[in-house]
Amino acid sequence: MYFLMKYLPMILRGFVLTVQVTFFGVLMGLALGILLAIGDLYGGRVISTVIKLYVEFFRGSPLIVQLFIFYYSVPNLLGILLDSFTVGLAVFALNSAAYQKGYIKGAMESVFEDQMTAALSLGLTRAQAIRHVVLPQALRIVIPAWSNEFCSLAKSTAALLVIAVPELTSALKAISSWTWRVLETYAFGALIYLVWISAVMKVLDVIYNKVKIHEIEVTA
Amino acid sequence: MTKTVLECRNLWKVYGDVVALRDVSLEIREGDIKLVFGPSGSGKSTLARCLAMLTTPTKGDVFLEGERLTGPGVDLNKARARIGFVFQQIWLFHHLTAMGNVELGLRRVLKMSKAEARERAMRSLREVKLEDWAGHYPAQMSGGQQQRVGIARALAMEPEIIILDEPTSALDPELTGEVIDALRDLADRGTTMLVISHEMPFAREVADEMIFMDEGAIVERDAPEVFFTNPSSDRARRFMARLIRRTRED
Repeated sequence: MYFLMKYLPMILRGFVLTVQVTFFGVLMGLALGILLAIGDLYGGRVISTVIKLYVEFFRGSPLIVQLFIFYYSVPNLLGILLDSFTVGLAVFALNSAAYQKGYIKGAMESVFEDQMTAALSLGLTRAQAIRHVVLPQALRIVIPAWSNEFCSLAKSTAALLVIAVPELTSALKAISSWTWRVLETYAFGALIYLVWISAVMKVLDVIYNKVKIHEIEVTA
Repeated sequence: MTKTVLECRNLWKVYGDVVALRDVSLEIREGDIKLVFGPSGSGKSTLARCLAMLTTPTKGDVFLEGERLTGPGVDLNKARARIGFVFQQIWLFHHLTAMGNVELGLRRVLKMSKAEARERAMRSLREVKLEDWAGHYPAQMSGGQQQRVGIARALAMEPEIIILDEPTSALDPELTGEVIDALRDLADRGTTMLVISHEMPFAREVADEMIFMDEGAIVERDAPEVFFTNPSSDRARRFMARLIRRTRED
């Protein structure tokens, strides 16, 4: 695989883009996902319906199709020029939010009723109860699901090659077509994905075990 | 004449076809200890929750120191901060330590500084003899300890009244004693309380008045001595006989 040394800077640039899209995509998706979960739980029927349609769209169509739609329509509709990286990142955030909303809502529902009642009994407002009691528990519970979402999103970044974002898979594709060393190139690329994704998953696992809430036992 | 702390008038609560409360009126004065008991499904918990405005009554009114809570434009959060509530299932905040549980309301509702809240919370934990457990999480404590944290959490807010909804009935029998002891301390300090409980020796010792409920209504209210010697209603008489027999067997 010595020939790859020559292309290492290109691979590295691609890798950095992949990591950026993954991290920012997951984090923006998390922020949006929390808002969507709260909106769905407390926002009333109209807001909840809009959120459901949103989620259906992003979960019910392929990511590549979403990338094409946004890449070719959004800059025209908004009348602004967007580079493919920005469009890609936005689609990843929107797409991830649709999935994360489901996880977060589920987690919030699992802590919701009794903890909310206990918080209200102290005089906290509903917003304070969500902020200080429901969310801190829901976000701990959601970490394993969230780490799956990270894993899936990290690999989906490969789809960005269809809108010409020079991320890791795009770089591999270019290199393999120049060198005709398809197997070695992609095997090396797969290794990079494998190492960084497992590393982050491991870190999330450690965090989860540090902050997880032990089940309450009423009897000693 | 001591002032009335919490009062309900002609309270009804209906869930679908089920009438959980029918026309219940009750007045709790400062320093009163009222003990509510009755068979399961008799509406005791519903009454407790309506009094604390954790459930909105279908009809009727609740007053806290004369202020009507069942009307429009009332800040219920403010009112709830003045009514302590201890839950049958304890319901501590799982992600917070004992200290964190007690501090939360002090910090977020009473807007105390961290130092002030810490000091007040510590005092409350000391009152339930848990000062050494401040840093422990609920899952690291026994049920009895957890419920005492629940009591400290309510107590720390310095409410006008504390409502306790069967505070010992989710606990193993050997753990009820420590919780009852904590309640006895509260009673000794003159805390205004409404306690739902079937702990009869405790009731006899501390209650000013016992209230027997059945099928959503108050059937009989009397001094403990009357209930223990000669209840006036048949239903209360039968229920008391069963309870006393069970207590002896324990």
